[in-house]
Amino acid sequence: MKKWMACIAVALLVGLVGCAKQPAPDTAQPMASDQAQSQPVAQPTMDQAPMQDQMAVPAALVRINFDFDQYTLTPEAKAALEANATYLKSKAYVNVSVEGHCDERGSDEYNLALGEKRALAAKNYLVSLGIPASRLNVISYGEEKPLVMGSTEAAWAQNRRVEFVEK
Amino acid sequence: MRVMQFGKTILIGLVFLATTTVALAEKIVITAPGQQTIPLALTEFLPAAGQPASAALVRELDQVLQSDLELSGLFDFVSRAAFLDDARRIGLTSAEVDYAQWRLLKADMLIKGTYQLEGDRLTVEARLFDVARQRMLSGRRYVGQLRDLRTIAHSFADQVLQALTGDLGPFNARIAYISRASGAKELYLMETDGANPQRLTSHQSIVLNPDFAPERKELLFTSYKAGNPDLYRKELFTGAEAALSRRPGLNAGGRYSPDGRWIALTQSDRGNTDIVLLSADGRNRTPLTQHWGIDTDPSWSPEGRELAFVSDRHGTPQVFIVDRDGDNLRRLTYNGRYNVTPAWSPKSDWIAFSRLEENQFDIYIIRPDGSDERRLTFGPGNKEHARWSPDGRFLVFSNDAGGTKAIAVMRIDGTGMRIISPPGVNCQHPAWSPRW
Repeated sequence: MKKWMACIAVALLVGLVGCAKQPAPDTAQPMASDQAQSQPVAQPTMDQAPMQDQMAVPAALVRINFDFDQYTLTPEAKAALEANATYLKSKAYVNVSVEGHCDERGSDEYNLALGEKRALAAKNYLVSLGIPASRLNVISYGEEKPLVMGSTEAAWAQNRRVEFVEK
Repeated sequence: MRVMQFGKTILIGLVFLATTTVALAEKIVITAPGQQTIPLALTEFLPAAGQPASAALVRELDQVLQSDLELSGLFDFVSRAAFLDDARRIGLTSAEVDYAQWRLLKADMLIKGTYQLEGDRLTVEARLFDVARQRMLSGRRYVGQLRDLRTIAHSFADQVLQALTGDLGPFNARIAYISRASGAKELYLMETDGANPQRLTSHQSIVLNPDFAPERKELLFTSYKAGNPDLYRKELFTGAEAALSRRPGLNAGGRYSPDGRWIALTQSDRGNTDIVLLSADGRNRTPLTQHWGIDTDPSWSPEGRELAFVSDRHGTPQVFIVDRDGDNLRRLTYNGRYNVTPAWSPKSDWIAFSRLEENQFDIYIIRPDGSDERRLTFGPGNKEHARWSPDGRFLVFSNDAGGTKAIAVMRIDGTGMRIISPPGVNCQHPAWSPRW
């Protein structure tokens, strides 16, 4: 019985909150009253990030990886780039060298261009997320600077990457 | 960095002897080296009359000459154990040669010569005789210093090839290449048989992909010395270096046009990887390709009217051809999924390239119209980055079959492969110079 009443109460409250068009002086208010009258939907804890950001600011720039002979961004790469964008926005004074790399297979010349395309893809995505292009410098090392030595699939996968180096 | 003084103190007088007859009527056309070999008697050169012998000198002269002639694929060497006493007689004119002895050994061609060392001054007389027709085909007198000995031997090997086929050989030239011997990738030069490797750069960074100028003794290459892959040129006599193109992004794979007035180059400063044509002074540039994909790796046709290059515009890297004004772009390679590093023969008749298949690179040649594709290399290892000798008879390329990348040469039919780079160090990106 109590649960059913709680649901109605929540529904009513959600409706009230949803219809509130005027800028509320304190958006936390509905949650406080919500807490008083029914089971809270979610109890915000003190160390949780504010609601408008999707994730915490990462501690450092992260690298992204690519499939063989590809310079398109994977969903994982895009997520990592979004984290990098968050980082860069929090540190407006930081400029970045966006460095493209390839695995050892493939010809050196082609890999220089492939590394460049990977770095450009990463840069363009960051620009689309609001990072000024002037903060991002692109350079390709092709297959000249592997992260991991070895001729295994695992090594190759790690070497197909774009690195972000703070300048 | 001191550069070897090619040409500065070499005094080589090439004296055309009155009795030289060039066999115009009977040029041997070798279309398939190795199939139609000429029995050749190569005698050890003798000290000139009354002069002291030098075993070391003879040995080196002989070794260089024999190695070059063997690589040519034109000859079957008559065994020295069978030589009769004419081999020990000086024979610088046709009248002095006992042709009967050589006919007995079934030799078709005969090489004889003498040498003379006075202090540092070296004089070498070299002769090629046609045994059947009993006449001299080529005669040369070389005058220089002792250190010019290998140059002299290479030059005469080139002459022998010209006398027999009409085309001068490519042995008196140099191979430029990249090596990690000093710890970082630097530019090196060595003779066509691998002798006398010399380091040319001290960038202590990454140097890549050299290319020779057609006329001047000059090399282009890309270096990260200034923190970006920039295009440099280096004068080989003076050692002087200058950056030629330093656009942000790539300035990679520079290739001189055959007339030396343009450089094809991959750049990316306009947001994509495309090929441009840069004037040789670096001042003007025009785009050659403009596609959102990767365009890279250009190679000029010997007339300078077209370029072969690599593009992924059809999905994976393939070789394409385009006119130098950007028109008439068409695809060359249709077999295989990954075809790269095209190199257009100076004879115009073939384009070499590398194909990646089942995780291994091999070298192929194909006609510029896309027909007659042939595989040249087999067996384990990656064979890539083939470049042509100036006579279009040989290819120099990198081969990592031994575990380390090494520079190798082979004939156009894929036979005669030999490693020429120093062992134990990674060597790659070779280029064969014009004749030195």
